[in-house]
Amino acid sequence: MRLFAWTAFVVAVLALLAWYLSYTAARLDRLHARVEGSVASLDAQLVRRAEVVRELAGAGVLDPASALLLADAAGASLEASDAADLKEEVREDGIGVARTATESALTQTLRATLTSDVVVQLRDEEDGLPELLDLLRSAGQRVEIARRFHNEAVREVRRLRARPQVRFLGLAGHTHLPTPVEFDDRLPDGV
Amino acid sequence: MRIGIVNPYALDVPGGVQLHVRDLAEHFIGQGHHVRVLAPADEDAVLPDYVDPAGKAVPVPYNGSVARLLFGPVTAARVGRWIDRGEFDVLHVHEPFSPSVSMLAMMAAEGPVVGTFHSSTMRSRVLLTFMPLLEPHLEKLSGRIAVSREALGTIQRHEGAADAVIVPNGVNVDRFAQAPVAAQWQGNEERPTIAFLGRLEEPRKGLAVLLDAMPRLLAARPGLRLLVAGPGDPAEALRHTSAEVVAACEFLGMVSDLDKARLLRSVDAYVAPNIGGESFGIILVEAMSAGAPVIASDLPSFRDVLDGGPAGVTFRTGDAADLAATVLSVLDDRQRRDELSALGSVRARDFDWSRVAADVLDVYETCRAAHPEPVHTASTNRSRRMLRGRG
Repeated sequence: MRLFAWTAFVVAVLALLAWYLSYTAARLDRLHARVEGSVASLDAQLVRRAEVVRELAGAGVLDPASALLLADAAGASLEASDAADLKEEVREDGIGVARTATESALTQTLRATLTSDVVVQLRDEEDGLPELLDLLRSAGQRVEIARRFHNEAVREVRRLRARPQVRFLGLAGHTHLPTPVEFDDRLPDGV
Repeated sequence: MRIGIVNPYALDVPGGVQLHVRDLAEHFIGQGHHVRVLAPADEDAVLPDYVDPAGKAVPVPYNGSVARLLFGPVTAARVGRWIDRGEFDVLHVHEPFSPSVSMLAMMAAEGPVVGTFHSSTMRSRVLLTFMPLLEPHLEKLSGRIAVSREALGTIQRHEGAADAVIVPNGVNVDRFAQAPVAAQWQGNEERPTIAFLGRLEEPRKGLAVLLDAMPRLLAARPGLRLLVAGPGDPAEALRHTSAEVVAACEFLGMVSDLDKARLLRSVDAYVAPNIGGESFGIILVEAMSAGAPVIASDLPSFRDVLDGGPAGVTFRTGDAADLAATVLSVLDDRQRRDELSALGSVRARDFDWSRVAADVLDVYETCRAAHPEPVHTASTNRSRRMLRGRG
């Protein structure tokens, strides 16, 4: 009888342990899926921003030097995105270091060319330019939001994966450990 | 876009979250989006046609007061059915920390779910005990919004490191800016008027601090009138004040939205003597929209709304002497009042719904890009999924 009770106890403990491990693995799986989604979203928002910048550069209202600088920076960003697509780097590793440098450069070009005086001038233009500025503002904001949400998802994955039971039992399998994405995404003042 | 919004509190009780949800929904509907709001309400209650009643809210003691919430297995099933029926592109849950339909919706939904955190007055200990259980569910939020830095602080106190996008509460600025002035509330050089709005008996609204300052104010400006709008018993509030102060106070009771706007349009200054527990301060934005010079306690959330100073004047929180001195300095300086009114009107535009709703929409679009499929529940094979941690 005592043996039976002990066996039942051990089985119950093992079952509970198994349930907990599979629960944690499923939770990790969900978090990894969320990171994949958030990085895809960040990629999409970066492309959208670069496209709006390219359109602004081609609108023919900025001085040629500013337009050229903007078109160049936007082109670099779109190229980086295309290259990432080819390597499927986006889903696997997130946004790489080279790409974050490109995006910071685009942000800095925007801040250098769209000074508050220029923005005020553009707002007075016709032919849909104020709308284009609104699009730029929204695109820039979405980049900011997407990067925040992505880093939040990354932080949550890393927090769970730092737990001893997850580390020692290898519950995360061979999934790449995601890293936060850092780059300059402040909008120009006044946009 | 198809948008589902979940509001945790009973709609017939006035409150910041309820008003925010109503305005947000109406703004999006005006833009042509499809919006459904789920909120605790009676089946036969008279509701706006975009609201789906989730059942009658039950008064329960929570967080130090009696809250009217809705929960339980029947409600959970109803929330799940509502989510599946709605086929929403985005589900937006408000106050997911409060034990009501928002929490249930967050637990049931999968896909693009956005959570907005409003409060800064959560009693932390209870919630901290529950965090390990809530954590796996909070991880499902694909995006978080905090209405202020204070509200973000609340999230961080419970979850440790965490981040959210800050999108403030919105105000229909024009509704206040264009309200007609009411002669009976307008002040003049002899008899200037100042206004207070808020529940009389709620200590954190700070009416007591303002009443403490009244003798000093009346000594300098004997004709001063204090207009008090808000529910509560005036006799109770005035129990320890002198006859002189009683004579200077006028109680308007609970006022309509229109009267609130007219009051703020008419007075010489609006005073917000709150002593704490405010995560945002929408009333300051309303006063600025109406062009009333704002004099507020220096709570961090108030300072943020006032843009760190120029759009209003602050005094030391809870300090009646400082309040009196500050109010007098504003009342004595006509030019200063005009400046404050002008700067406040400009600042208020940052909180106009046109701006705020566009920011919220940016959050929606970002989350949709991460989860292109509509929101659904995990109700199929529910027990098996529960077992696997996807409940």
